This record gives sequence, C-alpha cells and structure tokens, in this order.
Amino acid sequence: MPGPLVSLRALLIRRAPLIWLVLSLGAAVITARTTYVADLSAFLPSSPSAEQAVLLDQLRSGVGARLMLIGIEGGTPRQRSQASLELGRALRQSGAFDSVNNGDNAQYEAFGKFLFDHRYLLSPAVDAQRFSVEGLRNGIDDTVSLLGTPAGAVIKPLILRDPTGETVRMAEAMLPGAGPRSEGGVWVSRKAERAVLVATTHAEGSDLDGQQRAIDTVRRSFAPSAAQGLRLIVSGSGTFAVSSRTQIKSEVERLAIAGSIAIVALLLLAFGSLRALMTALLPVCSGVLAGIVVVSLGFGHVHGITLGFGTTLIGEAVDYAIYYLIQARTPAGQPGGAGARQWITQSWPTVRLGLWTSLCGFAALVFSGFPGLAQLGVFSIAGLTAAALSTRYVLPALAPDGAPGQGLRRQLGHATGWCAAALPRWRWPLLVLALAAIAVLALRPSPWRGDLSSLSPVGPAAMKLDADLRADLGASEAGTLVALSANDEAGALAAAEAVGQRLDRLVDAGALEGYESPARLLPSLATQRARQQALPDAAELQIRLQQATQDGPLHADKLAPFIADVQAARSQQPLTRAALRGTPLANVIDALLVAGDGTRPWRVLLSLHAGPKGIDEVRLRAALADLPNARVVDIGGELGALYARFLHEAEVQALFGALAVCVLLAWHLRSWRRLLHVAQPLAAAVLIVMAGLSLGGAALGILHLVGFLLVVAIGSNYALFFDYVRNVGSADNDTLASLTLANLTAVISFCLLAMSSIPALYAIGEVVAPGTLLCLILSAALIPNGRAGAGPYGKMP
Amino acid sequence: MLRAAAAGALICVMSLASAADAAGDFDIGQLTQLLAQAKPGEATFTERRQVAMLDKPLESSGTLSFEPPDTFVRETLKPRRERLAVVGNTLTMSRDNRSRTLELDSSPEAAVVVEAIRGTLTGNRASLERHFSTAVSGSAEHWSLELTPLEARLREKVSSMKLSGEQSMVREVQVLMPDGDRSVMTIEPVGSAAR
Repeated sequence: MPGPLVSLRALLIRRAPLIWLVLSLGAAVITARTTYVADLSAFLPSSPSAEQAVLLDQLRSGVGARLMLIGIEGGTPRQRSQASLELGRALRQSGAFDSVNNGDNAQYEAFGKFLFDHRYLLSPAVDAQRFSVEGLRNGIDDTVSLLGTPAGAVIKPLILRDPTGETVRMAEAMLPGAGPRSEGGVWVSRKAERAVLVATTHAEGSDLDGQQRAIDTVRRSFAPSAAQGLRLIVSGSGTFAVSSRTQIKSEVERLAIAGSIAIVALLLLAFGSLRALMTALLPVCSGVLAGIVVVSLGFGHVHGITLGFGTTLIGEAVDYAIYYLIQARTPAGQPGGAGARQWITQSWPTVRLGLWTSLCGFAALVFSGFPGLAQLGVFSIAGLTAAALSTRYVLPALAPDGAPGQGLRRQLGHATGWCAAALPRWRWPLLVLALAAIAVLALRPSPWRGDLSSLSPVGPAAMKLDADLRADLGASEAGTLVALSANDEAGALAAAEAVGQRLDRLVDAGALEGYESPARLLPSLATQRARQQALPDAAELQIRLQQATQDGPLHADKLAPFIADVQAARSQQPLTRAALRGTPLANVIDALLVAGDGTRPWRVLLSLHAGPKGIDEVRLRAALADLPNARVVDIGGELGALYARFLHEAEVQALFGALAVCVLLAWHLRSWRRLLHVAQPLAAAVLIVMAGLSLGGAALGILHLVGFLLVVAIGSNYALFFDYVRNVGSADNDTLASLTLANLTAVISFCLLAMSSIPALYAIGEVVAPGTLLCLILSAALIPNGRAGAGPYGKMP
Repeated sequence: MLRAAAAGALICVMSLASAADAAGDFDIGQLTQLLAQAKPGEATFTERRQVAMLDKPLESSGTLSFEPPDTFVRETLKPRRERLAVVGNTLTMSRDNRSRTLELDSSPEAAVVVEAIRGTLTGNRASLERHFSTAVSGSAEHWSLELTPLEARLREKVSSMKLSGEQSMVREVQVLMPDGDRSVMTIEPVGSAAR
C-alpha cells in the first residue's frame, strides 16, 4: 500500500469515532425523513408478464384499490337510513371522494338530464331500423305500455320528447340488474341489520396517507350518528393497507422495545456494567440506522415488514459487540489497549468470516425481482456491515480493554463448557432425529404451500366482514378480465365493442352470465357517429311518425318535441371520456378504461360475470381468438402464478445463497472434510425445523425461506466456532460464555418475532428461533474433535 | 331518476286467481286465512289502463299462473307478447328477444306491487301489514281489500291498490296512481282453478 494511503487509513482509524458520529447523525436525519410503506405491492414482481402487468395495474392503481365499503349498524332502520343519507351527503361534499353511492338517487338528477340530452348517442337501440315506420311503432308501443303502471310516473313527463323509450334502453344498458337491497331510500344489507355505502376515494390506493385521510373524513362525518349509538364499519383494500401499516408500525415499535429490554437485561446479566451495556448497543444502533438509510436511499421508502425484520438485527448485531467486549479484555499486567490489538489480530478474522457468510446469504435476496424481498436483503447487508465495521473500528477506541464487568459469565461459561463436552455423546440420537426429519419431509405433502394472502396481516374476521359488505353491495372482486390495449380512446372503445359483440354471443349461448364494458357507458366515436347517421331529418321523421302512430294511442301531432330533439341530436358533438369528467359515470368508466400516456397505451378491462356455472375459458379464448389484442386474465390464477413464481425465484436465490456460503466456508477451511463437518449441523437444523413445521401443519412461504437462509447465515458462525476450537485453537471460559450469550440474544429476538401477530414476521421468527438454537446444539454435538489429547475447553468443571 | 326509470320499466301489474272451497267472514284475518289456501293455478286476464295523456285506453290480455309460495308469471299475448316472471326475489322481464333480470328488493317501486299481489294470493297477512295499511269490506262471497303503501316514498308511485274477489279467488286488481291514472285487471280462472 503506498505511503499516503497508509497514513490516510491510519487517520481514518484514529478518527473512527468521529466519523461514526457524523455518519450516525446524517443517518438519523435521513431515517427521520424516510417514508414508511406497508402495502403488499412491494412483494409483487417488478418485471411482470403481460397478464401480471394487468393485474398489478389493478392492484396498485385500479379503481378497486380505491373502493371503500362502508356499513352502518345499530339503532333502528330509520336511524340507519337517516345516518346513511347524512353520511353520503357529507362525504360527497368533502372532496375526498370521487363518488359516494348509498342508494340515494338525488345526486343523479342533474346528471340524468345530461344523459337524457345525449340519449340518441348513448342508447344501444338507435339504428336505422329503429327509425323506420315499423321501428317507431314498436318503440312507441313499448314505451306506452309502461304508462298506467307505477313505472309510468317516471316515463310520463318524458314521453313526448322520447316516445321510443331511449331513456329506458340507455338505463337498462348502464345499470346492473342486481343492485343492493333498497329500504327507506338507501341501500341496506340483505343478511344483516345494516345500511351500506360504497365510495371511491380520490386518493390512489397506493397513497396510504391519502387513504388514511379519507378514512378519517368518514369517521369525522359519522361522529353525529356515532353519538346516537350507531356503529360505523369501514373496509376495502385501502382500508386494509392503512390498518396493516398501523398494525405493522405498532408491532415494530413493540418488538423493538421488547427486544431492547430483553437484550439489555441479558447484557446486564453478562457484564454487570452499564458502560459495557452502552458500548454493546452501539453496533446494534449503527446497524439498524445503516439498514434504514441504505434502503431508504436505494428504494425511496422503507417497507414496514423490512423494518420489523430489521429488529432481529438487534439480535445478530449485538453478537459482534459481545464477542468484542469479552474477548478483547486486556489481561492483568499488560499495557492498556493490548486486548483490542489482540482481538483485532486473533478474533476479527473469524468475525469477518461470519459476516461474509451472512452477506452471501442475503446477497441472494438483493437480486430478487421483488422489491420487498430485495429490501430485506439490502437492509440486512447494510445493517450487518455497519454493525461489524463499528465493532471493528469504533469499539477499540471506546473500550480498548474490553468490558470490565464479569456478571454471571463465569457460571455461563462453565455451563457452556460442560454442555459442549457432553453433547458429542448425543451425536447419534441427534443424527437419527435428522434422519427422521428427512423421512417426515419425504412422506408428508410439501409444506411449501403458502400464498400471497399469507403475507397480509389482515385477519380472517376483517376478511369476512369485507366479503359480507361486498356481497351486500354486489361489489364482488373481479374474477376474470378481458384486457385490451389501443393507441387512443376511440380505438380502445372500438376494441371494447368488438370484444363485446363476441361476449354477447357467449352470453346468449349461456357460456357467460354477463360482463362490464366501458363501451356500454361510452360508445366508441364510430358507433356514436353511426347512430347519428341513422337519425332521419325532421321532414322525413314527421312523415314516418304519421304512419307509425296511425290508430295508436299517442298521435304524431303531439310529438313535435321528439322531432326537435332528434333533429338536434344529428349535429350533437359526440361524447368522449373528457366530456363525462365530474359526472357519476366518469368513475365507472375509469374503472374499465385506463387512459394511456406517452409510454403506455390505452387499456380496457372488461370484467366478466361467471354466474353459477363458472366461465368456460376454452370457449372464451376461442371466441376472442381473432382479436390478437384481447387477453384473458384470470385474476385468482394469475395471483397464484405470481406467488408461485415469487416462491420459486426465492428458492433458487436461497439455494445460490447457501451455495455461496459453502464456497466461502470451503475457501476458508481449505478442507473438504471440515467443510462437510461444518455443513452437517446446519443442514440438520434446517431439516429438523422444516419437519417440525410440517408436522405442525404450517403452510410455508417466502418468509420461511428467508428464515432458513438466516438460520444458515447465523448458524454458520456457531459451526465455525466449534470447528475452530476443535481443530485449531482453544476457547477459555469467557469465550464459551460469549458464544452462549450470542446465541441467547439471537434466540430471544427471534422468539419475540415468533410472537408477533403479523404473519410475515411470525413466519421468520418461528423458523429462526428454533433453528439457531438447534444450530448451536448440533454444532457442539456433531463437529468432531480433530485432535487427540487434551480437550479444547480449558479446564473442565 | 335513471334507476327509477329502469326499475319502473320492468314493472307491471300482475295478479292471479286461485280457488279453494272455504268460507269466511270479512275482516283481514278471515280473508287472509281464506286466501292462504291458494293452490297453483292458471287464469286469463284482461287489463284496461286509463292514462290521461293518451288518446284512448290501453288494453291488453294474456295468461297468469301462480305457484305457491313465490312464483308468478304474467304472459301478455295481446297486443304484443311480453313475459314477466317473479321467482322469489328475482324479476325477469322478456319482450321480443330482450330479457332483463332485476333483484326485486333493490327497487321498492317494483316490489310494492308484487308484494301486494303476492301477499294477497298467499294470504300472508304479516307481509301485507308490513308494507300496507289494509281495509277489508264486503263478505266472503264478495270481498274487497284496499292496500295503501305505508312508506310515503312509495305512495308517490302508487296511491293505493284495490283487490276484490269471491271466496279464495281474486277477480280484479285495480292500481291507482297519484296522477289519476289507473289500471284495472279482471281475472278469469281456467283449468283446475275453475272448479
């Protein structure tokens, strides 16, 4: 190394505490400004297939993600309907919602007029035949037959302008037949004593702060009704995301506090010194800060699950400090700082190797196509590196002679030494256990059957409530979609009409119950133009009307307003999506028609109604075969495929990670025999835990896999330790104590994780806590003594 | 407005006849008891609607059928074919080659007429009194039942309905609209119901 570099390095090392302080302050600032997210879309792939892209579109920014389902319970039916009307009005005025529907149709009055004025462009019945003498006669008969019934009251004021009933035809096309139950002027549940509303938030589904504000608006607006004893229920994917975030946040705080208390207690027990305790916590804090900062800078935000997982870093990072504080003690009679110097030459290489193996494990995750998983990897790598570096360069300056206190370490060291000496006798029973685990795994069905929902902290009760509200509102989640893309709005709507014609045939044939298409609400430009061209001019219409109404109940003389309206419609500007902005229809169209921009085309999503028989997908695909742009997307299937791909990718990465760990160990040990001995306890621990979970009926998923990777990464430290003391060096009482202490801290922090109510964290905890304990025990039991003669553990008690 | 229009478009008055050999008195309890013995039946109907703005009354005729507890079909044959079927909560309307299905309870305006007729035909006193105030006059031989919707919102659509009949047989259904329009349907039992 050239001279200036050497002196620079020396300067850096000398100034390490100062550098650390500056970095920590900077990190603290970045941490405070970091955005924390909790939506599960981070655990969706960043390079999806075309079908998955449609799906992700929907999950991230689709109208479904902005849907809020609201229920009002308690009180009398009259109170509930009153509360629903008031809440609906308040929410519409709040500006936080693009639409609020509760069965109160007063809001549609202005819009109804708009639609009525455009009926000759929008009614599906308008064509040349409709305006022939025969067509006019039929249309008028149809409409007139509604008079004298309760429905007539609505038709009657319009009939002279709309004798052929285009308003009715338009309404039929736009309104679903299966609406919610209506009572007292508002929507109510069919199954429960509950008024129901459905609202679309203005905020995107992925904008959790916006979602939170929308929920707060609902609660605030409901306060007067709540005071009367009515209860409010809010559900929907945005609500789930917000409550998940809250839950993850409070859980992470709880975990961090509990973990800290446990570790502090343990350290006090081990050192009996407050100063040692503070020193030991330094690498931990550095690690957590570094993890957050690097993830925050690299990804733009930190996922709640990453953070929760990060608390386990406390358990691993504190090990470095424990090793240092115990092993760097300066023996009596030697100059100050001798302990630190000795630790750097003797122990640091082993710690560094342990760090490298851990990094290998996590590096696999960094290259994952799933941002959430990559975050976990980056967080762990940055955190562990920072923890190790601050141990190596900051602790020697702060505590050059290690930690003074003794605590209960002597007893701990003795117990560990005794166990380490006794455990090899259990070698065979433990190997049999490992073999039994293999048998269990071979005989039982694969436990790797977790699904995407296993990542969500939303409980079954909340899911059930959501399903109930959806059933009440008829707002079932889309099962199958037909996705289309086109260069512009007119093209997209024309394509939707082309698909619609083919779907209509399937509906007629009973292969499909129905479907939703934006073209039903907003016909394509071509269709609107064609309808206009089908309208006869005033003189011609007058003549045809005379013939059509002969002997009929409604005479042509009265129909001058009709002729005038038809005349006006012939030169009307065709409707576009832009013309509908701000109307109740805009939302419905936006759900089905996604506007393109410079980079992405216009997209149409037609959602299909399966009906009781389900959808005949083969027929569906065959019917759409001549439309290369149309793509059938089965949402359930795609979600399953997505997770399967996720899991498979993670498995491959985990294998590569494990392989990298092995290569590193082989390079370090330079002996196949010793490599085998080190790998044996790790493999056995993984198998036993996996078999145990399988017997317990757990469904293993992606985070269990991460857990196993952690077991290997952490466990390899223990295996290396026993390999070292049984083949190369020796360990005194204190070193043995440091090992047990390190293991206890890890087991404790992962036990806390296993008690979490968040499935993702729980999954990691239930794998790593038993896994690391087993790694220690199995390492002590299985790694053979490479030397004859005196035992490696100093004096036996 | 739109919803009301769509819902309304699918409503029509329906009624059915049935017969049973029971005698009764003339309060609502007696009447519904008598009607509760309704059996599946077929009937023909003629309907005459008076609408102020039309040059002449609308006349139609067709068949009715009823199968307890909750299936009704009204098939109009003249002047043009049209079919209305209620099964439980589902209303299906077919005309020409178009057909549309509606959940009855999602449009109370449609439900009010169906509940009146269904409640009367099945003698379901509880259901009638949940939706209407009732007034019975006449005797078991010639009774008449006047139903007025309890909900003010519904009285804006239907002022009242008057059903009259002989024994357990409904012979006439009148529907009065608030604007003075009215429809009168007279019913002639056929087949088994004509015994």
